[in-house]
Amino acid sequence: MTYQAALQNEVFLTYLAIIAGLLLFAGVMILILRVSGKNVSGVWNTYRGWLVMVPIVIGTIFLGRTAIIAGVALLAIFGFKEFARATGLYNDWWMTGLVYFGIILLGVASYVPDPRLDYDGWYGFFMALPAFVVGAILLVPIFRNRAQGQLQQVALAIVGFIYFGWMFSHLGFLANTKYAYGYILYLIFAVEINDIAAFTCGKLFGKHKLRENISPNKTIEGAVGAIIISLGIPWLLWFSFPHFEPWHLVVTGLVVGVGGQLGDLVISYIKRDIGIKDMGVMIQGHGGILDRVDSMIFVAPIFFHVIRWIHGIREVAVS
Amino acid sequence: MTEWEYHPSPDIDESMSESLRNFPRQPYMLMYAIRSVVAMLLRGWMRVYHRLRIDGRSNLPANGSYILVCNHTSHLDTLCMLCSVPLRQIHRTFPAAAADYFFSSLPRSAISAILINALPFDRKIKGAESLTVCSELLKNEGNVLIIFPEGTRTTTGEMGRFRSGIGRLVVGTDLAVVPCYLDGGTKAWPKGKALPRPRKLSLSIGKPKNYSHLDQSSESVIAICKDLQDAVAELGRSRQ
Repeated sequence: MTYQAALQNEVFLTYLAIIAGLLLFAGVMILILRVSGKNVSGVWNTYRGWLVMVPIVIGTIFLGRTAIIAGVALLAIFGFKEFARATGLYNDWWMTGLVYFGIILLGVASYVPDPRLDYDGWYGFFMALPAFVVGAILLVPIFRNRAQGQLQQVALAIVGFIYFGWMFSHLGFLANTKYAYGYILYLIFAVEINDIAAFTCGKLFGKHKLRENISPNKTIEGAVGAIIISLGIPWLLWFSFPHFEPWHLVVTGLVVGVGGQLGDLVISYIKRDIGIKDMGVMIQGHGGILDRVDSMIFVAPIFFHVIRWIHGIREVAVS
Repeated sequence: MTEWEYHPSPDIDESMSESLRNFPRQPYMLMYAIRSVVAMLLRGWMRVYHRLRIDGRSNLPANGSYILVCNHTSHLDTLCMLCSVPLRQIHRTFPAAAADYFFSSLPRSAISAILINALPFDRKIKGAESLTVCSELLKNEGNVLIIFPEGTRTTTGEMGRFRSGIGRLVVGTDLAVVPCYLDGGTKAWPKGKALPRPRKLSLSIGKPKNYSHLDQSSESVIAICKDLQDAVAELGRSRQ
């Protein structure tokens, strides 16, 4: 995966065309709505956020494997930072620093080749890291010789590392695969479409609350609609993974359709328990980083392991 | 089982430019790391390029909060003062900086807040409010406030009159005020020039002063200003 390869890669170029087309289409639609006298300021704000994010994401993928792994690690660090600042874990600089260090190690594990095998990405180290980092987090209270309130700090740090760091970093590890462009672009595209579909279907047909104590705006109709659309997406994007059999497409669609909404709900109850509305203000019209990548955190590891079970570790980690 | 308590950062829903301008600032790891590195580099730079000499470092109070006052000839003053405090106190040392100049844009705010650790001081409209922020800050142990009571950089080389702000801040408290005099600032970095020139600088730190014996009146404010102005000028005279 280099930028020369990206320019030669049909999958990358096709996604470029699809995404540019969709952005243009959405822009024109907002313009038409505005001319016809509807209030579009909220949608317009969100759209402007997309206009900033899409070039950054596409640009990162264009630059290749190194940029993708570094980008995912950075997103994980800043995502965890939002979580730490929201819960108050950030005041504990030892814990926060340790999780940062763990996330950087995840990036290193995704980047370096396995010393005993001849392919990029040290899968064994990547999978072993949670044991070491969780172990290190658990030792912090011992070094400090303090018990008061330590279980909360340790628990928050472990959730922060495993969920926002390790699970999310699977997305970066996908850059080592043979079908990296297809997998990564499909995953990002499908997850975002799933989010938008859930929102739109909920607005159009929503009647029954999905989980009223967690996220009162989500409806069963929205969720079902999003799953149906997500089941259809892999068929349209079959060129991303030409080696998939039809039932692989169904599984892939289900992973995104169900997992995406679960990830959304996970962040929702975390925010609700803390008592905040958004995780931050990083992205205009979207909230914080975690408000945007919430679905991806849940979907990335499941997608990764599903294709690993189907095709074996070699297929996942051949550069 | 007791409920967990979460403590979300107060600036969680503020944009970057807002949280840089607000005071007191929330601590950020990266900000502290950058500031520490910059402070060390700055010390080396001042020693080599300006051959900075600091006299009377032992006059700085070892504990408790205190105020450093100094004559104001150039931006180098602030940097010299930052070099005079112990390195471990660098994150608790706040130069009061004119909000209309040092916090006028995002890049300036970033430099002022991250590198200099400046306290945004409104010298035009909300002066009294800014003074309240300063006195709140000094109520906490171990904070250092750097103030240039002249309010602006001198262009003539002559020291200007001390404004009443410092007096109003100190009157009725037992805060220690340390007078300082920086020599050579006008030549090293004249107002309006883009870059400093490699001229010698020397900073004299005087004995700390305390005004707890004065009552809270406008006469005391004037007396404090006068006394500090004399103390700084005296340090300058003894220099030559």
